Amino acid sequence: MNREKIDSLLEKYWNCETSVQEEEELQRFFSYGDVPEELGQYIPLFSYIRNEQSVTLSNNFNEKLQQALETQSKKRYITIRIFTPLLRIAVSVLLLIAVGISFYFISKQDNRPNFVETFEDPNAAMQQAAFALEKLSHALQKSETASRETIQFIDDLDIDWAAIDSLNKTNPVETDSVRMKNKE
Amino acid sequence: MNIDSFHSIILPMKDKLFRLAYSIVREQAEAEDIVQDVMVKLWSKRDEWKYIENLEAYCFRIAKNTSLDRLASMAIRKTGVIDPERENLFFIDHRSPHSEMERKEQRSVIDQCIDTLSENQRLVFTLREIDGMSYREIAEALAISEDLVKISLHRARQKMKEMLSAYHQNE
Repeated sequence: MNREKIDSLLEKYWNCETSVQEEEELQRFFSYGDVPEELGQYIPLFSYIRNEQSVTLSNNFNEKLQQALETQSKKRYITIRIFTPLLRIAVSVLLLIAVGISFYFISKQDNRPNFVETFEDPNAAMQQAAFALEKLSHALQKSETASRETIQFIDDLDIDWAAIDSLNKTNPVETDSVRMKNKE
Repeated sequence: MNIDSFHSIILPMKDKLFRLAYSIVREQAEAEDIVQDVMVKLWSKRDEWKYIENLEAYCFRIAKNTSLDRLASMAIRKTGVIDPERENLFFIDHRSPHSEMERKEQRSVIDQCIDTLSENQRLVFTLREIDGMSYREIAEALAISEDLVKISLHRARQKMKEMLSAYHQNE
């Protein structure tokens, strides 16, 4: 290849006007041709490209791929060919059972009100109610006498309330017993 | 028919797909893994092949997207883990500016230039210069317009030319 042709090809190459064949020609020239010194600076580019072209997958790639494909197709076989029809049947059976059970419960549900009469005889009911109320009033009475006794006990202690109040003049505590004493 | 087209169309593309993946992730083992993933993915979708217009371009697109996904997850992994063997070295100030400069010199100018290319430019450069594909094939493979392919390639080549000239003058 003469110098003029190389120069014009290179010019076209930089402007992206070369065809793939012309680029191969350039590649051959820079790899094996007698490259003039001025163009020597471009040799690294073409040797890089040639170098990269020889980069390939490792030799055992096909075997690894084969293995990957086999494990993948096995998985597909199990999940799709066997499980799915069984799963469909299982799901439809489960659905039927669920619908059946819910129907059973809905039909059995009683419509009676929650509050129901438990006594047949009105007199018995009256008796029970009176007994309950008596018990309640008895309990109330008991607590009332207890509190009365407590108040009496405090009053009997004969505490000097005025003295206690004077300790806390700014905000005196008013109690029932104090008021009662004041009235006396 | 499926097995035949797998052997006649897809399997022969493995090296091209590998180089495409490699130009994105820049790691041999990772790129091989991607090609395998792509092949497995393609095989699992073999029933859909008859609806695909351009199977070759489709393969390239899957490879490109898988590689980009992988690149993103690689970035996450790298920030998370420090190699225990190298961990000790981080505490020693072994990276003097001088040794850094030497290291840069040792890497080829082209590698440095490729690092500066945008993703599209790098992909187009790989597919054109190394795989020798036509503009139309590249456009279909990357799902971009033919004009964009030409523009990207032009920019990539101009950058190469500039860097090589600059390097030459510095020497």
